[in-house]
Amino acid sequence: MSDGIKRRDFLKVLGASGAGAALTGCSPQKVERLIPYVVAPEDITPGVATWYTTVCDGCAAQCGMWVRTREGRAVKVEGNPNHPVSGGALCGKGHATLQHLYNPDRYAGPTIRENGTLRPTTWEEAEALLAQRIQGAAGNVLFIAGAMGPSMSGLADAFLGAVGGRRVQYDALSDAPLREAMLRAFGTDALPRYDLAATRFLVSFGDDFLESGPSPVEYHRGFARMSAVDEHGTKGRFVYAGARLSLTGQNADEWIPIRPGSEAALALGMASVLAAGGRTAGPWASLLSTHDVAAAAQATGIGEDAIRDLAERFVSEGPSLALGPGVGVHHRSATAAHLAVLVLNHVAGNVGRTLHLQGGPLGATGSYADMEGAIAAMSGGQAGVVLVHGANPAYSLPAGSRFAEAFGSVGFKVSFASAPDETSALADLILPDRHFLESWGDSSPKPGVVALRQPVMQAVPHFDAKQTGDVLLSVASRLGHALGGATFYEYLRGAHQTMHGTDEAAFEAAWREALRKGVSEHPVEAFPAARDILPPAAAPAFDVPALDGDGDFILMVYPSSRFGAGEFSNSPWMLELPDPVSKIAWHSWVEVNPAAAEARGIRQGDIVTVSSPHGSVEVPVWLYPGIREDVVAVAMGGGHTDFGRWGTGKGANAMTLLPAVAEEPSGAFVTLATRVTLAPTGRRQRLVTTEGSDSQHDRPIAPAVAIAALGHDSGAGHGEGAHGPLKELQGVGGFVPVDAGGGKPEAFPLEGSRYGQYARHEEKARWAMAIDLDKCTGCSACVTACQSENNIPWVGEDQVLMGRELHWMRIERYYEHVDATHASHVDVRFLPMMCQHCGNAPCEPVCPVYATYHTPEGVNAQIYNRCVGTRYCANNCPYKVRVYNWYRFSDMNVPEPMNWQFNPDVTVRTNGIMEKCSMCMQRIRDAENRSVLEGRGKVPGDGDIVTACQQSCPAGAIVFGNLRDPDSHVSHVVRSERTYRVLDDLINTQPGVSYLKKVTFHEVAPGGHE
Amino acid sequence: MATATKERGALTHPDVHHLTDVNRDILKILSRPGKGWWALFLLACAGVGLFFGMWGWQIYKGIGVSGLSAPVGWGTYITTFVFWVGIAHSGTLISAILFLFRAPWRQSVYRLAEAMTVFAVMTAGLFPLIHVGRVWHAYWLIPYPNARFLWPNFKSPLVWDVFAVTTYFTVSATFFFLGCIPDIAAARDQATGLRKKFYSLIAMGWRGSDAQWHHFGKAYIFLAALATPLVLSVHSVVSWDFAMSIVPGWHATIFAPYFVAGAIFSGVGMVITLAVPMRKIFGLEAYLTIKHFDALAKLCLLTSLIVLYAYLSEFFMAWYSGEEIERTAFWNRLFGTYWWATWTMLVCNGLVPILLWFKRVRHSIAALFVISIFINIGMWFERYVIVVTSLSHEYEPWAWGIYRPSFVEMSMVAGSFGWFAFWFLLFTRLLPPVAIAELKEVLPPPLRRQRKEAH
Amino acid sequence: MSAPAHALLASYEYLDSAVDAIEGLRKAGFKSLKAYAPYPEHHIEAALGYGQSPVRVFTLVGGLTGAATGFAFTIWTSMDWPLVVGGKPHVSIPAFIPIAFEMTVLFGALSTIIGLFILSRLPALKPPVIYDPEFTNGRYGVHVDAPAERVEEARKILSAHEPVDLQESTEAAHA
Repeated sequence: MSDGIKRRDFLKVLGASGAGAALTGCSPQKVERLIPYVVAPEDITPGVATWYTTVCDGCAAQCGMWVRTREGRAVKVEGNPNHPVSGGALCGKGHATLQHLYNPDRYAGPTIRENGTLRPTTWEEAEALLAQRIQGAAGNVLFIAGAMGPSMSGLADAFLGAVGGRRVQYDALSDAPLREAMLRAFGTDALPRYDLAATRFLVSFGDDFLESGPSPVEYHRGFARMSAVDEHGTKGRFVYAGARLSLTGQNADEWIPIRPGSEAALALGMASVLAAGGRTAGPWASLLSTHDVAAAAQATGIGEDAIRDLAERFVSEGPSLALGPGVGVHHRSATAAHLAVLVLNHVAGNVGRTLHLQGGPLGATGSYADMEGAIAAMSGGQAGVVLVHGANPAYSLPAGSRFAEAFGSVGFKVSFASAPDETSALADLILPDRHFLESWGDSSPKPGVVALRQPVMQAVPHFDAKQTGDVLLSVASRLGHALGGATFYEYLRGAHQTMHGTDEAAFEAAWREALRKGVSEHPVEAFPAARDILPPAAAPAFDVPALDGDGDFILMVYPSSRFGAGEFSNSPWMLELPDPVSKIAWHSWVEVNPAAAEARGIRQGDIVTVSSPHGSVEVPVWLYPGIREDVVAVAMGGGHTDFGRWGTGKGANAMTLLPAVAEEPSGAFVTLATRVTLAPTGRRQRLVTTEGSDSQHDRPIAPAVAIAALGHDSGAGHGEGAHGPLKELQGVGGFVPVDAGGGKPEAFPLEGSRYGQYARHEEKARWAMAIDLDKCTGCSACVTACQSENNIPWVGEDQVLMGRELHWMRIERYYEHVDATHASHVDVRFLPMMCQHCGNAPCEPVCPVYATYHTPEGVNAQIYNRCVGTRYCANNCPYKVRVYNWYRFSDMNVPEPMNWQFNPDVTVRTNGIMEKCSMCMQRIRDAENRSVLEGRGKVPGDGDIVTACQQSCPAGAIVFGNLRDPDSHVSHVVRSERTYRVLDDLINTQPGVSYLKKVTFHEVAPGGHE
Repeated sequence: MATATKERGALTHPDVHHLTDVNRDILKILSRPGKGWWALFLLACAGVGLFFGMWGWQIYKGIGVSGLSAPVGWGTYITTFVFWVGIAHSGTLISAILFLFRAPWRQSVYRLAEAMTVFAVMTAGLFPLIHVGRVWHAYWLIPYPNARFLWPNFKSPLVWDVFAVTTYFTVSATFFFLGCIPDIAAARDQATGLRKKFYSLIAMGWRGSDAQWHHFGKAYIFLAALATPLVLSVHSVVSWDFAMSIVPGWHATIFAPYFVAGAIFSGVGMVITLAVPMRKIFGLEAYLTIKHFDALAKLCLLTSLIVLYAYLSEFFMAWYSGEEIERTAFWNRLFGTYWWATWTMLVCNGLVPILLWFKRVRHSIAALFVISIFINIGMWFERYVIVVTSLSHEYEPWAWGIYRPSFVEMSMVAGSFGWFAFWFLLFTRLLPPVAIAELKEVLPPPLRRQRKEAH
Repeated sequence: MSAPAHALLASYEYLDSAVDAIEGLRKAGFKSLKAYAPYPEHHIEAALGYGQSPVRVFTLVGGLTGAATGFAFTIWTSMDWPLVVGGKPHVSIPAFIPIAFEMTVLFGALSTIIGLFILSRLPALKPPVIYDPEFTNGRYGVHVDAPAERVEEARKILSAHEPVDLQESTEAAHA
């Protein structure tokens, strides 16, 4: 009886979710109607996930994506292993694009602004109005657009060509200086391709390639292969020359805290040393003689010896590579700095070896100079109709640019924003675009690589959005122009057909293959690998650029690794994710060096007024030893005024502190332009941070091993540490010695957990994880991946402040050695911490109701519906990885339709229960079922199971598998001499998660600490 | 024989001459309550209202309305639970252990001490329920045959706790009521109307016949003999909630004796706090004499010394162990975020009781009352220090955190005193608050010969 | 004997008079005696010649049952559905001792109470035929059931010690 009822309920649920997929374009009410499948939609098998390939639209990198859909809803995005850019990994922002898809703040449909108020309208009326206005604009249509795929930009240009107008590409984060420098150095108008994997000595002049920059995931993968120790016990060295340690800088081996703007001087100084050492500088020799080491030392504030030493190692420890300043250091002579760095690379002979002139990422091509022109045109009344797509200049440009005034003065303003932003707030007509997961498109992240973007699900029925391409085509046809195709889908196919010639069948096959694989690569015309450098043109200023104002701090405004330039500020995942560097969530902060702060009587958490000649913001102070004493830094992405329920009013917008200056000659927006003063407001606040202590207090948490010590086993972290042989108390027989990890990894359970009662190894695996801390960069993509996979709700600013964040994973960040006063080594330890799945789990015996226990395959299981919430297990967990549902967070915080993202394979937890990392148990069970169904035995093969964190990790630091299979990948990794288990020496917890120590070039004490 | 008994009685109750005096003086307390009692009772009711109001709010909203968080998952609720369990200890101690040792001064205080025990356990027992996140499932801690044949985890100290506290409540309640029966009979024989019906019912037909007295005496001894180890076990089990974990600052073998001593200390303190006003309001000067308070004060002094010794040995051991994590925990306890709590505890429980060395202090009711208040405060903070400071600084430096009690938590602590007072005030009006029969036992029995000699 | 029993109850103000009365009656060979006192008075018990109370047996049996139950239950439940927690043995005797101990005390205490109620015939809500409420206050009482032909003798012994009050009833309290 009760069974029957259960089955019926199940069918209802099935019907509901199925209906969501079946009825497209219908109103939400209809979707909620409970109807079982009559005719099941194709591609949908209830309970079985369907995967689609597409391309991430989160940033200019355009990573290939796999999208997991269940019953017609996208529930998870992952990197596409076939794609040359993502290579299977994905960054946190990539995961967060899912929240843009289900963002409840999206426009419900087209709206017209009539005397100040928005009026919903129909697409018919809206397009008619747009067509009529364009006709009236007399060929003065201005199209301000962010990065678009080749076909879309082609269509836009065709459209503008037909109706008369021009397109201005605007990218808040621009790579123009590097592009310009490449043009001046080698005559190629493209970004270079860095072969990080082949590099052994990497110097970054403030390029934060791991977090911002043209292709973070791709460079992440390259960097991991370069900087992680290999089987020969060698690893590449990374030197960071910059005023502030970004996440990239924290991963460096050495830090040269140079004065901001002195990158060119340092690069040329190094080059001059090399030239003096007999290397050919070609046409630059004479210039190098003037820009010598002395000049460099004078400009950078670094000793000559340090620079000389660096220069010599730059060639002796090669192959080397130098990277020019990133967006955060785009000062008034950024192009010159990039040029100088290219010269250095040329002199060191890196061009063609580690720096390739061809095959680099597309990057953000728009420049602020073009935007200035557009602004002038608008205020000059030369723009009848302005269309804005994929850009939010009203937020990302400072007041000095007068964009808002100019835009406001235009007669008819159209925004294609799919959700409210500062620019659409000024628009007269809003034609919401579809999310990229709902629409067709293509991308070409680098020459010869083309990837298609396809709708992975029916459009979210709550929002009546229309793909901008379709809008342009239909408006064009209303105006009597045929641009090739009634819909953008046809246009897209047409565009690609031309690439394949005329053979319809061949094209159809290629098209399907491209959709299946997610990418298609085409040959590009050959290109001289190395090319001689051009002589210095009318010499650009290589000296330290001028700064506005006379404040006692130089202001750095850098792109946030969570928000970019602010596009992701309305994603709760990104807001709740602790910043990888500061570990602060939800609000903005200004980074100040502790010494500088103390000298001015400023304490952690003091709210100060940061004022420049151009504006001022109020932000709390975060004391950061990784920033020069004469520099303060604020991340982009805060202080939105109209950006949805989560983004609006969070933090401060640092752009308002900047002047509206275009860098000469590249025309990029200048982010390092002014000095500021800090004035305490007298108010304080507790920072919303997840950091309990930034020091390990010499505890065996994240030890490291010096590269010199590799090979001859240091012993620390194995079996008995500095604490003598381990013993455990048995019920009878008193204390007996235990082996806490010396044993062969496959010999589970280890003697310490002799009562583990594991099943026979052919019956059950011992699931275990190994994390290589030498690879981990602390980027935190895994945290968001885990959150997305396991239905972990966000808890909000006030709850994080109380320490109630629900993340199953956290990245601990400990300083071992960070010195901003002079060039020296830097040692920052990252430790991804999640449930360690202990063999002797302290959390298990204390639970009065068996809500947590040990499964036969060695996983520490948490049974949600059995938990009564005594929180004893959390108290007794030495790793503090158990998180507790203090409220009904899933109901309170996750509005419709954002809950459509929930993973049907994972329970949504309720109020008052404990939860924690399950090692993605749902994926384990899925693999086991498949293995049995396919007759491969009860234990899935190695690699069948990929946990969410492992899948997302760009550095490939996480390995998961069966520890009882001696040939499994994880067993091989765990055999490393660097293997240790956190706190195991102290309390014999026998964790199932092993870590591999970070490898440093400098000496570390036996305890693994500084 | 007569002389012996005379000595006995003269020892503690010089001003009580005849058996009937006792009935007169004690039973008059049960008559109509005065304004003061009503005032206190209304106050208590207000506390009860606050208590359950806040609890209801917490159940409705979620345990998040408390200040609890990671890493401090246990806070004010558990602190207050241990506090009340501790209070509950002196009652059975005074009645059972002192009974076995035939302490001559227990008769007039043990009834109120036992009542205090019962009501304190009733209060303490609520806090684990308040504390759990899903109180509507709390019954899963009780072993009952269920559909899944899933039993509680008897390896968990929390389950030991369930057994210990429920057993303790059952036994001490039984013990308390058993002692009351003869006195209820006395009340019955003097009461009239509704009260008579009520007392006749709960006196269960006690007449004071030889057979009844005979078995009663034996049963009482055996119950006392069982209750004595029970007292020691219950707070040991409570201490193992902490000591069985691996939390630095909890994981210590000293905990059981340390907690038991602390419990007796706080309990006796609370007895003084209650006895002083009762003595004044009900005019029991003849029964609660200075000698009684002197004895209670000495017991306080002894236990406070034990507790102080436990504190010091904890700190010494943390240092002597050489274990960095242990040392940090205790350093943090003294000088960390919660230094103020620790020092309050040390002053109230270690320093203030030193005054009790002086006879003049022990013989000043007012002074004892003030000191007992200090002891109550100090013992609450002792538990706060143990629970909160230890959890806030554990193994993982990254996970260190700070806990701030919320308004809801603090008002429930306050409300729990109302809940306790509610029952205790009812008790003073419905049951004889001083043991009538046992007092008569130590009074000189009326003898005809003496009267003859007198003439 | 065939003649109906006759109940007499004397209330005394003084302990020694009650004791003397009891001893007098016992010397005269009266069997069914009963004494009342406001508190446990061992002189009276001595006069009536009491021995050991069997309550102790209840206590012992209860305690042992408790201990056995405690261990048996904890062990059985851990075997009934063996779940691994913390790498500990399923049957961890040390962890079960507290449970067994508490059960011992609980069962022991409850069975003691039961024993007491059985032995002293409680609850007895029906009041006895003759009773003096002063017994719970300040007086001692001596009750004797005398056969009809010896009523006179019993009355004499009782009155010899200056009773404050002497009640009689034709039906015996406990025949």
